Amino acid sequence: MTALIEARGLTLAYDSPGHRALALDGVDLTIERDESLAIVGESGSGKTTLGMAIGRLLPGEARREAGDLLVEGRSVFDMTAADLRALRRDKLGFVFQNPMASLDPTMRVGKQVALALGGRGDVAELLARVELPNPERVARSFPHQLSGGMAQRVVVAMAIARAPFAVIADEPTASLDASVRHRVMDTLGRLRAETRASLVILSHDLRMVARHAERVAVMYAGRPVELGPVAQVLNEPAHPYTRALMRAGAGGERPGERPEPIPGSPTTLSARGASCAFAPRCAMRRPVCAIVRPESRSIAGRQVACHFAEAILAEEPTVEETNS
Amino acid sequence: MIAPRPFRFFADLWRRDRLTALGVATLLILLLLGVLGPYLPIGDATRLAVGPRLSPPSWRFPFGTDELGRSFLPRVVIGIRSTFLLSAAAVTMTASLGTLIGMVAGYYRGLADEVVARSADVLFSFPALLAGLLIAAAVGPGRITAISVIAIVALPLFVRIVRSVTLALTGRGFIVAAEVAGASTLRILGVHILPNIAGAVVVQFTYALSIGMIIESALSFLGLGVQPPDASLGSLLRQASVYLTFAPWLALTSGVVLSLAIMSVNLVGDAVRDALEPLNRRALT
Amino acid sequence: MRHLIYAASTLASGLGTMLGAAVLVFVALRFVPGGYADMLLGPFVTPAAREAIEKRYGLDQPVAAQFLHWLAAIAHGDFGVSMVTQKPVLDEFLRRAPVTLELAILALIMALLVGLPLGVVAGVAPANAKRSVAAARLVGAFGLSVPDFVLGTVLILVFSMWSLWLKVGGFVPFGEDPVLNLRTVLLPSAALALFGAALILRTTRDAVLRVMTEPFITAAVARGESPAIIVRRHVLRNAAIPVVTVITTYFGFLLGGAVVVEVLFSVPGIGLYTYNGLGNRDYAIVQTGVLLAACVFVAVNMLADMLYVLIDPRLAR
Repeated sequence: MTALIEARGLTLAYDSPGHRALALDGVDLTIERDESLAIVGESGSGKTTLGMAIGRLLPGEARREAGDLLVEGRSVFDMTAADLRALRRDKLGFVFQNPMASLDPTMRVGKQVALALGGRGDVAELLARVELPNPERVARSFPHQLSGGMAQRVVVAMAIARAPFAVIADEPTASLDASVRHRVMDTLGRLRAETRASLVILSHDLRMVARHAERVAVMYAGRPVELGPVAQVLNEPAHPYTRALMRAGAGGERPGERPEPIPGSPTTLSARGASCAFAPRCAMRRPVCAIVRPESRSIAGRQVACHFAEAILAEEPTVEETNS
Repeated sequence: MIAPRPFRFFADLWRRDRLTALGVATLLILLLLGVLGPYLPIGDATRLAVGPRLSPPSWRFPFGTDELGRSFLPRVVIGIRSTFLLSAAAVTMTASLGTLIGMVAGYYRGLADEVVARSADVLFSFPALLAGLLIAAAVGPGRITAISVIAIVALPLFVRIVRSVTLALTGRGFIVAAEVAGASTLRILGVHILPNIAGAVVVQFTYALSIGMIIESALSFLGLGVQPPDASLGSLLRQASVYLTFAPWLALTSGVVLSLAIMSVNLVGDAVRDALEPLNRRALT
Repeated sequence: MRHLIYAASTLASGLGTMLGAAVLVFVALRFVPGGYADMLLGPFVTPAAREAIEKRYGLDQPVAAQFLHWLAAIAHGDFGVSMVTQKPVLDEFLRRAPVTLELAILALIMALLVGLPLGVVAGVAPANAKRSVAAARLVGAFGLSVPDFVLGTVLILVFSMWSLWLKVGGFVPFGEDPVLNLRTVLLPSAALALFGAALILRTTRDAVLRVMTEPFITAAVARGESPAIIVRRHVLRNAAIPVVTVITTYFGFLLGGAVVVEVLFSVPGIGLYTYNGLGNRDYAIVQTGVLLAACVFVAVNMLADMLYVLIDPRLAR
């Protein structure tokens, strides 16, 4: 059986006059049915580009240089405009960062949800499914009359309106209050379990990922550097970047401790990397890192792109120590 | 050999954006004609009967001759000069005044702001040419009338845009920081706010200039603006329309030159706006 | 209730603007040589008539009191008497208003028919469709640059050489002969429409372009909605406010009297009447023309302000 979503050596670049930035650098990634995968990285790591590429929702200046992205075995880059629309409408659901901005401010919520349903269900029922209190009143409201959390639930409702097989959520809770973040994520997770759709979360928030996803892909400079089950990857990171991320955003600091920032700034490539893109910021770099591009290898139940992954795993489990 | 810089700039522009390049070229040519007009060997604008009356365009009189036997080309060149000069002078004065008023209103807010905003609404409610009739009634037709009408129309444009940008700026960190550091109001307005509204003012200026040229020529066409023996493109068209069927070249040449002049200003204004306020949008597929 | 408060505040600010316009007109009239009495009666007045007028308008009183008297008079519809015909000026204006209204409506229709669709198409055209973008820009720049009297002059030239069904000049009222009326007003309306068409085209294009950058458009694309549906359901309404603004502003100016075009084509509307009033030194007419035009403009804009709330519910707050 073909994978639900599969990226094969996908390489994408953004072209602007006199400037070229490589957003995806040969991404190999498979998303199975009925799973939740988090794609984690700093801004500029390519996670949003990868997520949007699933529905070919790329800006005009994006250009595919190599590789492919298949959904149910079909390349999204070969689809006609009509097929692409059908894919987005019936099989994929997208949730964006700012819920207020992703609803039409001039249209009542009920009408927008009805449009997303396309006449195949009841608006109030759908709004109740995303745990909105008083769905009839919400349906009569305009978006500006809702809170951020409520608006995001409406957006989630619209995303699952046609029972898609995958929901792609781009920083779904980044613009929400901390108090409602986890509740919105819990709803997303419950709906995923109910509908057996796959959930792809694009986020920079490792802690949220740890709670709401089964698998995680850590992106750096346009490629996943570590990919595996959340428990393994986050408890025993095998890539120096994952380790650094865990330390930087750990959040489990003891009083008086500060998260340790990753030195340097994220790398943006302009061409396919011939070396390890993380090397300039890596505490464990060796001469070989600047010469040979590390390919993804299977180690200890995960995929890692680092020459010294075994050595890192063999070290003291530092993250567990600081995190416990 | 390396071409001189202006030419390279123009060649680049031509490759990127032909419409803007044409606008810039037209504007430069017309401005040069206007400035150098009296010194060009194109004939005398005021000498009567240098040729037959109302004769069609020829090598000697490229734009033909008018009803008094004057060569029409030098008259059109004088018209370009006074149309540009009058409108640019009026719009520059209005822009300076409007920027000052808008900045002060937006910075101080409160009552001053309310009064300024209301007054802008009042000025904006006057249809330009009727206001021109009223002013002509009060002070008589002439340059003053033309300048006043342009000011009435353009002042609210500048005040409104400058005020709204200033309002948006005053709450921003760097302004608050300057206030806390004890900078004088004059310094805050001049050093911190002015550079940030300059773009909006420049964009508005090009629009106001093209509107000003239309108003000036319309008033002169109605006989309320530039008075004979002086000539602007509008007053030339006014005289020419009397002989429209016998000597259409008079109306056509002055009308086309006037339209080209306004259009070159508009095209350059578009380019300025696109450069200062770019928009990134999404494709629908 | 919210809408009522909004409407009331719109009304109040509109009336305030009209009052401001009245003050300016009053001030301008003080500059007219000979003063208000001469203005109303002309230079050849008997001292007795002059005194009567001065008493009636309170011209011997302080300026503020004069203004109030003047305001009270025009509020009762007393705009003075035409020097030439000795008839109340307001009646003359009301008689000519339908002509200007017809011209304005025709021009607006033509401008909308051309400007709106072209503006939407230019706005949603893909960024790489350079030719269509350049074409829209050229049409826009052309329309905003060719003054109505230049276009009118060219139209007169063309249509007086070849008649082509349409007529130049010789206005016939609509009530007398609708077809003949149309043949005479189409050309002046067309001369007026070009600027409006370009204005509406550009405003629509810019507004559409701005909406196209909004995340909810991306969201609609991500839901697989078709371009036609996205434009109809989401883009048009969200782009409508600036377009409504520019349409009402344009219409307000048209109603205020298209002076140049009415003069050029000898269409007996309020623009031509006011212009002739100036020529005859019949200043009561000029005063009335300007005041009425400003008030009509403000009234049209008040309507637009009320429309905004229906378009964008966020504004009712």
